[in-house]
Amino acid sequence: MFKRSKIWRFFSSVKLAIWLLSTIAFFSLIGTFIPQSSVYFSWWFILLLVLFSLNLIACLLNRFFLSDHSMGFFIVHASILIILFGALIGILFGQKGYLKISKGQEANSFISRGKRTSLGFSIRLNDFIYSENIDSEERLLVYQRIKFEKGVCDMRNLQTARDAEGFLAEIPVNLGIEQGIGNTGYRIKVIRYVPDFIIDVSTRVVSSRSASPDNPAIEVELKDLKGGIKTVWLFARFPDMRQETGVDFWIIYNWAPRRPRDFISKVSILKSGKEILSKDIQVNVPLNFAGYNFFQFSYDSQNLSWTGLQVVKDPGVPVIYAGFVLLILGLVMIFYVDPLTRGQLNVFSIS
Amino acid sequence: MFLAYLNLSFGAYFLSMVFYAAALFSKNRVFSLAARFFITCAILALSIYIGMRWQIALRPPLSNMFESLVVFSWDIAVLLIFIDLKYKIKGINALTALMGLSTLGCASLLDKDIVPLLPALKSNWLILHVLTCFIGYAALTVAFVSSVIILCKKEKNANLDNISHKTIAFGFLFLTLGIISGSIWANSAWGTYWSWDPKETWSLITWVIYAIYLHVRLRKRWRGQKAAWLSVVGFTAMLFTYFGVNYLLVGLHSYAQ
Repeated sequence: MFKRSKIWRFFSSVKLAIWLLSTIAFFSLIGTFIPQSSVYFSWWFILLLVLFSLNLIACLLNRFFLSDHSMGFFIVHASILIILFGALIGILFGQKGYLKISKGQEANSFISRGKRTSLGFSIRLNDFIYSENIDSEERLLVYQRIKFEKGVCDMRNLQTARDAEGFLAEIPVNLGIEQGIGNTGYRIKVIRYVPDFIIDVSTRVVSSRSASPDNPAIEVELKDLKGGIKTVWLFARFPDMRQETGVDFWIIYNWAPRRPRDFISKVSILKSGKEILSKDIQVNVPLNFAGYNFFQFSYDSQNLSWTGLQVVKDPGVPVIYAGFVLLILGLVMIFYVDPLTRGQLNVFSIS
Repeated sequence: MFLAYLNLSFGAYFLSMVFYAAALFSKNRVFSLAARFFITCAILALSIYIGMRWQIALRPPLSNMFESLVVFSWDIAVLLIFIDLKYKIKGINALTALMGLSTLGCASLLDKDIVPLLPALKSNWLILHVLTCFIGYAALTVAFVSSVIILCKKEKNANLDNISHKTIAFGFLFLTLGIISGSIWANSAWGTYWSWDPKETWSLITWVIYAIYLHVRLRKRWRGQKAAWLSVVGFTAMLFTYFGVNYLLVGLHSYAQ
């Protein structure tokens, strides 16, 4: 019957499958070498995927009419179709957008594909927390002031700095924790860190110009035996900067690259003004509410005053996950179950 | 220091490769047995090293190039014992040991510092994703070795072809698991299960090449040499997915450098 027609045989052939797979692989490869490539969203790449799907459907139907039923074969090829179908659902009915919320503010809609979409509830940012891992090399090194000013301290690296003349103590950088400085009787507390120090000359307000550590500096509090307190800024790039502390030691800020530890958006969901739930959104820990998923996406590297959340509603995801499970199941059947039940030596065989 | 275990395993790996190579030229069973003994030692030492690193770092050591190479060479060694006991083909044993040893050699050239995890990597999917990928890679490495031997030999060898096929089937299953777990992880971290990032795309290219391998083998005349060439091409794509993308292309996986 129709199985004999040339077109049908062409569409259901393994040969076409191999050609299509090769072409898809080839253009995918090209795409990875073109930055911001639009290969994968071009009409002809999508046409390739459509042809591939038709090929899969034809193969499935063909096998269905054959007496040779292989459950594994059927499940694997159907699962690929299911995954592609899930992706199509996402493209047609999914919503994706970006929310930028400032501390204390709330948002109830977002832009998805150029269209403003209402959430049906609002989400408020209560607080944003960013923390870093302080490298073990990041330390404060304390020297006798006279020795330091004579320039005899060799600060090329941490080891020589420790062995240098006039070395008094080293103190790990622990924000907000008071620590003793050797046996000087003084105590020191790191009260603030900025990666890129800048000061407003008129107001004397210190801030960070950027998130990149171009001019890392820390503010420390020095406390003498009588409880008198002096604060001073220490600069990693400028160890010779004057320190008006009135003490007879000099503090060097040995900086080392920091790595981000946590990005946490503390949010609440509100419906008609009433708070329904509060949750922390972190990288790898999104918030799911009413079909919408909120992901930690970006943040205000300057003042930590706002958070950027990715909002996604993709009804295709369960379909895709079902496809994933079937794909694994089908492969296990083809490779390891079918050969047992058929008593064949070869894992893949054509009859 | 626990670094001693890494050096110890390197030595044992090396000796095992030497004995596997010696077994190629001698019928004496002592060489094969010695090779098996040393590869077992290498696995033990590597296991202790990985375990201690896990304890010190307070997280599974699977987060950068060095750690993944160590796990990769561990996977290759375990698979090597299995392949040796099951098929007993000396050429495959010696070359697989060489591949595993080179992997460990590459690892030893890299920075071994333990650094804290970036927030993007703090996920339970990390273990599943990395382990499945590298089990797959190890199997595909054995398939590559046996394919190279097929290509070097003039006469057809159905047994080698069968080994290539079996290991590719196994590797393909784990590659699929690796891609799927990565996809689910990406969806739970960023809300996108597939974003055509270079690493993802190259893993798909590798997957497609091995899918083609599995399909062309349906025709008998494609078995042997032609299929072996595809296995070599697939392995090259796998290497590019693993190394090339990290060093030549930029993408979401850039933290894995």
